[in-house]
Amino acid sequence: MLGHSVVRDSADGPPPLMSAQQGPIRLAVIDSDSGFVRVLVKRLEGVGWEHRTLTSPPRVEDLLAMRLNALVLDLALLGPRAWEYLERVCTSLPGLGVVVCTGQSTVAQRVRGLRLGADDWISKPCHPEEVVARVEAVVRRRKRASARVDTGPMVAGELEIRTDQFQAFAAGHSADLTRREFELLHLLADGQGQVLQREEIYQRVWGYAMARGDRSVDVFVRKVRHKLERHSPDWLYIHTHFGIGYRFQPELKDGAAIESGERLADAALEEPAAAEDPPARVSRP
Amino acid sequence: MTLLRRGAPDEGLLDLLEESGRNAERAGRLLSEMLAGFPERSDLARDVLLCEQEGDRITHDIMHRLHASGARPAFDRGEVHALATALDDIVDYTEETADTFGLYGIEAPMEQSEQLADVLVRAAAAVASALGTLRSGGELAAHLVEIHELENEGDRLSRDAIASLFTGGVDPMVVIRWKDIFESLEQAIDSCETVAHILEGIALRNGRRGR
Repeated sequence: MLGHSVVRDSADGPPPLMSAQQGPIRLAVIDSDSGFVRVLVKRLEGVGWEHRTLTSPPRVEDLLAMRLNALVLDLALLGPRAWEYLERVCTSLPGLGVVVCTGQSTVAQRVRGLRLGADDWISKPCHPEEVVARVEAVVRRRKRASARVDTGPMVAGELEIRTDQFQAFAAGHSADLTRREFELLHLLADGQGQVLQREEIYQRVWGYAMARGDRSVDVFVRKVRHKLERHSPDWLYIHTHFGIGYRFQPELKDGAAIESGERLADAALEEPAAAEDPPARVSRP
Repeated sequence: MTLLRRGAPDEGLLDLLEESGRNAERAGRLLSEMLAGFPERSDLARDVLLCEQEGDRITHDIMHRLHASGARPAFDRGEVHALATALDDIVDYTEETADTFGLYGIEAPMEQSEQLADVLVRAAAAVASALGTLRSGGELAAHLVEIHELENEGDRLSRDAIASLFTGGVDPMVVIRWKDIFESLEQAIDSCETVAHILEGIALRNGRRGR
């Protein structure tokens, strides 16, 4: 599936979801120019980034599973599929910084690439230090943008999910979630009431494709539910869709759905709600 | 097919063999229960370990009885030796599986492991029933067929489970951990079939064919 690859994952497993990334930058380099890649990899190891080099373009789903911050891509490797692939990557992975690093190109090509979603364009020959600096700049800009979006906790029922603390609070008490449990809850809550399939949850939280029959998602949902119930026993937050996956939606256990704004934190009451919109379940102040 | 003895029955030896069969069945049930309730019931690994230690004790007693007694045993010593060893292997591999969950830091079970543990329980129960015919001289063939069919089912499940690990994009650590677990479960089930083969050999050696 993937070409030659070098992986330098930390011993503690992959980092959390992109928006919560705090560790070293995770970068994939898709390039078949072995000389350039060798020099670049040496530099990446020098700066301590986690990196993966690929000599052929992976599927977009595989890129998602790698949970990257940035991608350095040589379009020449892709031939006639280059533009389509670039557009698909940029559209499907809006949180990923994409730096095109390719040979000689025309102004029209560079403009096209940037308009399709690339964050930067570097022409070869180039110095690896410049590539590292440009990737760093792209990631920095994305982190700033992400920080602006992620300010404030997510509030739902008696639950408050704080990405800044990697923790959830049920009725004011810490749920003592582990990092993975938090990532799972955050992902589900971010789904805005949508059903997420087990396979998708596993890929987003664990960072790999789910092996058939793996019950990790079920077990971790059970753990999260148990921890939330300790301090918020009257509420149901995670709903099971048998044979499919899970959906996050705060509901009182007696079956009464919560009307917009009711019992939500004061800050959440400011959430605008159009008349035709469904009742707000999850809100950010 | 029946198991007819060539000498006077050694009731003590039969007791030990039957006890060994029941112990294997119990170990399988504990493992199955552990997987069904994992990780909350991971404490059952300790009970499976106790079964393994009990299995060692029974095997030792069988060997001691077999070789210490001056009397001619009802069955060939070599066959009883192999039988006791195969019975012990069932519990050993069952315990190895339970232990691996802790050793590898498994966070959640896989459906295929629960299915294999269920096959193991049924195969071990069939082994225990088959061992009962040593004393009763009852019909053996049906038990042997059942064990053989269960071993085939275990083989199919195990191959399918291992193949599923090698589909694209699965965490290599998951592959390493679960390949070992599926293999040890399969070995436990295979040991049940080994017991069946030895019992069949005993029956044939005694010159009686099943109905």
